[in-house]
Amino acid sequence: MSNAATMRRDAKRRAQRRSQLLYAGIAVGVVILAVLVAVLSTGERERAVSVEDIAGDPAISGDPLTTLPASGDDPAVGAAAPTVEGADFEGTPVAIGGTGSPELVMFMASWCPACQQELPEVVAWMEAGGVPEGVQLVSVATGLDASRPNWPPDAWFEEEGYTGRVLVDDADGSVAQAFGLSATPFWVALDADGQVVARIAGMLDITQMTALAEVAAASSG
Amino acid sequence: MIAVAERVFALLALVAIVVAIATALALARRRVPDWLRDDVALPLATAIAAVATGGSLLASEVAGYVPCVLCWYQRIAMYPLVIVLGVASARRDTEVWRTALPLSGIGAGIAAWHIAIERRPSLGAEVCDPVAPCALRWVEEFGFLTLPTMALIGFVAIAVLSLAARRSPMPAGREPNPPDTAGSLTDPTSTV
Repeated sequence: MSNAATMRRDAKRRAQRRSQLLYAGIAVGVVILAVLVAVLSTGERERAVSVEDIAGDPAISGDPLTTLPASGDDPAVGAAAPTVEGADFEGTPVAIGGTGSPELVMFMASWCPACQQELPEVVAWMEAGGVPEGVQLVSVATGLDASRPNWPPDAWFEEEGYTGRVLVDDADGSVAQAFGLSATPFWVALDADGQVVARIAGMLDITQMTALAEVAAASSG
Repeated sequence: MIAVAERVFALLALVAIVVAIATALALARRRVPDWLRDDVALPLATAIAAVATGGSLLASEVAGYVPCVLCWYQRIAMYPLVIVLGVASARRDTEVWRTALPLSGIGAGIAAWHIAIERRPSLGAEVCDPVAPCALRWVEEFGFLTLPTMALIGFVAIAVLSLAARRSPMPAGREPNPPDTAGSLTDPTSTV
């Protein structure tokens, strides 16, 4: 009786081990199959355009602004903003500050989903004639990173139908740092004298864009 | 190389979806097969947790995808599951669901919120942190499998598998089997 029980137990264990080996084999087979499918189905990802190809070489003058605090008053309001002389994606000169006009500067990163949601709003705002008379709108393409999604940024601006001016930041994001960028999208309103009227990090709706631009225009007297 | 690894993890996530749905159906019908309950559920849940952990480490340490705050919260829920489920699998601890379910449930909730922010950044802070924005989709395979989506699939699969590994309640008057009889010298079911 005892021997029979032992034999039954041993047979059960052997069957269990066979089952476990089978299950492990199936698991390994699934992983190998996944690797094969992945290798065969993954093409070379085109990252032909490098950051160096896109990045500008903007010249920045003036003292940098402090980073926008997460809450409370912005210490940079009323301070003179840095002036920037740079270029767009085609090399056409674009400047921030020193233009004698109030300006609305928006910093955009192509990989940033909030910016991706914001840019079509900006395009709609521009097409609706929302930018107040005399206010210059300029976008800064910053946060250049070829390893992140939605690269390169010039294609993104074009796809979204943005026809305004774009100043391309350098690879280190020097223009963004000079304006105290804390996050993207990042808005800076300047009066005609190049002083900071307001800075906002985050998405704005069309009403808020208009309000910010009007504040910049009003501050210019 | 990274692209291949991302595709492999995405394919395994698809397999995990099938596993999770099949197991959930078996649970709903109260017909969990013995082979699934006794031999497969816990080792498979352990494997899913291990693959998810390996994938997240590969993403941050090899691919250079900086984890955001929500990624870290999901890691806090996923990483211990490798140990918890691994030990339970070795010991055939069918009660591990009491630990695995809260961990995977919390992780699944955070992953679901992360997915929502990815799809609609305006639900979150409406800004992108320059270093580690939560709304950034580092990976997007087959149009929907982002990193938190794969994490959510992993958490759900682990939850249902740990539930499937439970012992069914015994009819009145019968004692449940002991947790592990493998390797013991006596057969507790024999009546010598």
